[in-house]
Order: sequence, then structure tokens, then C-alpha cells
Amino acid sequence: MRLRGLWVVLLCVCLAVTLVAVGCGKKETATEPAGTEAPKEPVKIGGIFDITGPTGDVGLPYSEGVKAYVAYINSKGGVDGREIKLIDIDYAYDKTKALEAYNRLVKQDKVVAILGWGTGDTEALKQIIATDKIPYISGSYSEGLLDINVCPYNFLLASSYSDQARTALKWAKDNWKGAAKPKVAFIYNDTPFGTSPIADGKKYAADNGFEVVNDEIVDLKALDATTQVLDLKKNKADFAIVQGTSNLASIVLKDAKKNGLATKFIGLNWAADEKVIALAGPAAEGYIGVIPFAFPNEDVPGMAAIKEYLASENEKIEDKTQKFVQGWNSTMVMCEGVKLAGDDVTGEAIKSGLEQLADFDTGGLANPVTFTATSHRGSEKVRLAEVKSGKFEYITDWIGYK
Amino acid sequence: MDCGIFATSYREDMAVLFTPAAKAKVAVIIALFLVFPLLVNDYYTSVANLVAIAVIGALGLNILTGFTGQISIGHGAFMGVGAYTVGVLTTKLGLSYWAALPLAGFMAAMVGAVFGIPSLRLKGLYLAIATLAAQVIIEYTIMHWTGLTGGSAGIVIQPPTLGSVSLTNDTSFYYFAFCLTLIAVVATVNLFRSRVGRAFMAVRDRDLAASVMGINLLQYKVMAFGLSAFYAGIAGALLAGYQRVITPENFTVDVSIQYLAMIIIGGLGSVMGSVYGAVFIILLPIGIRAAAGFVGAFFPDIQNLLLAAQTAFFGLIVILFLIFEPEGLAKLWNDVKNYFRLWPFSY
Repeated sequence: MRLRGLWVVLLCVCLAVTLVAVGCGKKETATEPAGTEAPKEPVKIGGIFDITGPTGDVGLPYSEGVKAYVAYINSKGGVDGREIKLIDIDYAYDKTKALEAYNRLVKQDKVVAILGWGTGDTEALKQIIATDKIPYISGSYSEGLLDINVCPYNFLLASSYSDQARTALKWAKDNWKGAAKPKVAFIYNDTPFGTSPIADGKKYAADNGFEVVNDEIVDLKALDATTQVLDLKKNKADFAIVQGTSNLASIVLKDAKKNGLATKFIGLNWAADEKVIALAGPAAEGYIGVIPFAFPNEDVPGMAAIKEYLASENEKIEDKTQKFVQGWNSTMVMCEGVKLAGDDVTGEAIKSGLEQLADFDTGGLANPVTFTATSHRGSEKVRLAEVKSGKFEYITDWIGYK
Repeated sequence: MDCGIFATSYREDMAVLFTPAAKAKVAVIIALFLVFPLLVNDYYTSVANLVAIAVIGALGLNILTGFTGQISIGHGAFMGVGAYTVGVLTTKLGLSYWAALPLAGFMAAMVGAVFGIPSLRLKGLYLAIATLAAQVIIEYTIMHWTGLTGGSAGIVIQPPTLGSVSLTNDTSFYYFAFCLTLIAVVATVNLFRSRVGRAFMAVRDRDLAASVMGINLLQYKVMAFGLSAFYAGIAGALLAGYQRVITPENFTVDVSIQYLAMIIIGGLGSVMGSVYGAVFIILLPIGIRAAAGFVGAFFPDIQNLLLAAQTAFFGLIVILFLIFEPEGLAKLWNDVKNYFRLWPFSY
């Protein structure tokens, strides 16, 4: 009976704390600028990131890149004198939470645009995004988001996963010296993100003189891929396209090295960054990455701003990965859309602002981005880089599959 | 000060609510729910919509696991069957959402019943794994039968409309979902006052004894699976109508486990428990986020830590409930009520 009394007290305390906490949540007090010289209203942009979930290995640096750019642009006086206010939520790659987070950002915080994350949740939200007229740049480059009639508010900054796979395959074919048909395998995780480029990739491979040997499913959080790797060995795959994140790629590479595979592994965007090398060590030698964004150690004009910002925060660019640059880049493009939106910053205005971008140069941080009213395929070009003595070195210039 | 409620006629004994106070209370609660969207902003209405969908799903799982004693880890997949039925029927066959909604329930019920057949021979852990197999098979089918389900891109459906009212609006969807949830709650309460419901409970308590009493075990176990999946199908169809995009990631094994957590935290074998559990699980991350924001205003470093520990916190709560209050929030709420009703003479 004593325990019961304790429960009652505990329940009441929990209830009180929740009520207080919820009550103290963001209460926007709309302050109308009084004079003419009053600062313009800030532009609220939402962020839905995976910081703690299964793709957190690449999601965390991406989100840091987004936050860094927002801080940087604000330190420069914002976009056209308007402060950018980022309201971000960690949804841990959980689809229900993504919907809830989206609702909060749009309905409570009244954001005008969102920087999102995963393929599954972006796909699931696309219809609502179109109804709410919220321009949405996500970390997903899934071909399924490019249908302008279904997803008029989704924008893809980089080459789509399918295009990345096709480009990688084209390169593989062009550089193939064997007499027989090259054999290609696909390694991916069984999620919408993982399977996104597979059908297109296989079709392209079959049409372009490859023999598609096998599909290997490796979980995003897998710690072992021996079975899959041995299967590749048995089938004598010459190339393997890896669609996953850095963790997945490093596991595959390590097990491949252990089992003495001759397969050439080619990882798409999220499976290729410095983290793969850090995790896989010498096993990463010879690994080829499809790189749509620049590495922090590259000497391109756009990197100066990143360096400048990091210096002001007492951080070093050496500690940042390519995914940081990617987040930075997404935000830069979004802010450019805000800039072109004119004085009345609404979702629709930002959309048409983004659609004005033609060969928008981010200072070499990515291939120039072009959006039009009929196509939100920002770019079709990527660079391929190979790991040589512990570092990614470019082996091609910006190339596409066409 | 009352010390108990005593029925003096069979009619009173059979009533769900027979004191005027109880009737008034229910009327007030329903009235509160009806004005709720008018009092809060759209965001809270959207959360309420998610809760309503979860309540229907949790009720379904509680019928199967809480009342009939058949564990299931395939509930998320049955929701998926419902959602995809709506998707396929409306986009490929051009049916209206309103016709597809009940059909989604029946389709899920059929699939659920098929996977319920092994339950005659399998119990406990074995049944858990068999239902997990259902989850995996259905998930795999959804993912790879791209011609029908659209694979990873999913299916986009037209927003359901009722006359001139479109359910794309959170408030109109709220009223629709609320009506369905109310029907589901009342139906479930009444189910367990009927022969079928009693048979379910007999099966749960001791299936051998139930069978001796003349209950056809296979029939009732399969019926429980079918009924449970029917609710899941309706919940899935509702989610489809709300999101208007159906993708496989909404129906993974994680979702099944989340629903199990709902009924464990809410209270196994309790109708109101399913409601409390659904509310609790949907509000938990929101609450943690709000708490983290609140604490973060004073200790900025703790905020990230709190957010990162969300999953751990979720696990901790399930464990604490299992240890200290296995009968869940429903029991806890009753204890609180009794505490105040009987105070100060609680003995």
C-alpha cells in the first residue's frame, strides 16, 4: 500500500513536469517591427535530422554542416538582412517521429522550408509537403522524389542515387579491360534508401554489357558481412556497387579484405567519405567512391567560407568530413532560394526562387546546381575518387552517364 | 462518500455505465474531445490524429495479446496490409477511399487469420517467432512486389474527401479519426461482454479448460487473429489516408514492437489501457523533447544528452512498468482514482 502511495506521488510529479515543460515550449510572441529601421522578420527553416539513429554516422556531420552554415550566414547579417532561424529536430530515422516532427515544424513553428534527411521519411512526406507548399531539400537523392507532378516541392541537390549508380557503372565499363562481360553485384540495405537505385542500376547494367551476378543485403547496423562477401567471391564479381552508409561500407571492405576478394567496390554518396577509411583502415585501399560534394581538404574557393567560420569557432577543418560540406552545401542552396524569393518569404516564393537557379556555383563545393520549373534534378554529375594510401584521390573529373 | 457500487437489478448489472455520474463523466469527456481541435493549434491536432490511429492499432493488438493470450510481433505488418490495400484499391481499381477503408480491414483480417492458424499448435515463444515470420514475409513482399506496391517509392493516394470537406485538413481528419476511434473503443468494450469475448478470455486463462467447456480453440484463436488484424488494417488505412503516401518504412518490425510496448505500458487485457498506452508512447518522445528543451535553457550541455538517450529512456520505462506495474497505466489510473475516492479511509 505504501508503494501505491509512492506511485501516486510519482505520477503527479511526472504530470506536473510534463505540463510545465510543454507549457514552456516555444511560445512565439509575434513582435511586429514598429519603426521602419526595425530588422526584418527572421526566416524560419526547419531541420529534420538523424543524429542518434542508424544513419547517425553520416547524419550527425551533415546536421553540423547545416547548423554551421546557418550560423555563418547569420554572422554575415543573414540573407538580405533577414536572420535565418533553424529549428531542428532529431528524429532518429523513425518514420512516425518524422511525421510528428514535420507537423510540429510546419504547424507550430510555422517554418517556410525544411532541410530533411532520409529517403523513407522524405518519400512518406512528399504528398503532405506538396499540399503544405514547403520547399524540401533532403539528404535523400532518391529517383522517386524527382516526379515533378507528385513532388513539386522536393529538390535534389546532387545526382540521384540511380544516376550515381549508372555513372559508376559507365565508368566501370569504360575502364574494363577483360575479354568477358564484367560481372557486377549490388550490395545494399533492405530499406527504401538502400533499394532506391537498385532496379535502375540493374537495368542499366544489363543494357550495357554487364552480367548482374548477385544482390547482397547488408544491414545498416551490421557488424559482419562474411556471408555476403563469400557469396561475391563465389560468383567472381568484378565490381560491386555499395549503397549504404559509411559503417556498412567499412564492414563490407574489411570482410572482403579478410577473405581475399578481387572485387572492385564502388560506393555511392553516403557510403563514401573519410569515415570509411578511418573505420576500414588498410582494407579501404582501392575503394572507389561516387563523390557529388567536395572533401574538406580540397582547395576550392567555396571552402574559404567554411574555414573562416570554423576559425571563428576555434575548430579545425581537418576534423570535418565530406558530409559536413554536404550539409553546408544544402543549406547554402536553400538560402539562395530564400534570397531569390523576394520580400515576401513564403514556401511558394522560395520554390520559385530555387527554380531560378541556373548553374548556381557553390564555389566548387559541388557541381553547379540547376533547378527549373519542370525539373528538380539539381545536377547529374559526380566525381569518382579512389582510396590511395589512406586518402581519397579523384580519378575522374565531373562526369555523368550520358 | 461511497464505499462501492452495487447493482440492484440485472439491467443495472449489464449496463456499461449505470451511475448518472459515470454517464455525465463520459459525456463531458466526449464533449471535451469534440472541442479539442478548436482550443489548440494545428500541431496538437496532428498529434491527436497520430494518437487516434495508434489507439485503434493498440486496441487490436490488445484483443489478441491482452485478452486472448496470443502474442504477436506482426502487428505492424498487418497495418501495412491495410494501408497497401487502400493504396492498391484506390489507385489501381479507382475505388473511393470510403469503400477501400472497410475492405482494408477485411483484407488484413484475412491475412491475419491465415497467419493465426499455427496458433493452435504454437504457444508463447514459438508463436512469437511464427508471427515474426509473418512480419518478415509481409514486409519482404511489400518491398519487392514493386509492380503492386511501388517498392521503396510507395503509393501516393488522393486525399480522401467527404462531400466538399477534404481530409487533408488536420481538424476534419481529427473528427473522422475520433469517430472511428470511439466506435473501436465501444465495440471492444462490448466485445468482452459477449460470448466471443468471454471465449477469448477463457482461451487466454487456460486453453485446455476452455476446450473442455466446448470452445472450439482453432476457431476462436483464428478469430482473435483476424479481429486483431482487422483493427490493424483499419489503423493502417487511416495512416494511409492521413499521410497520403504509403511506404514500407511505416510498417516495420519496430512498429510492431512499439505497439507491444503500448499495450504493456497501457495494460494488457484492458480496453482503456490500450488508449492510455497509445497516448503515452506517442507523447513520450514529444515530452522528452519538450523536457530537454526546458532543461536545455538552464544546462545547454544536458539537452543533447537527453535527446540521445531517448531510446534508452523508452527501454527503461518498459522495464520499470514490467517490474512495478505489470498491469500498466490502466491499473495505475484506477489506483489513483481509488486512492482519492476512498481517502482518508483507504482500509
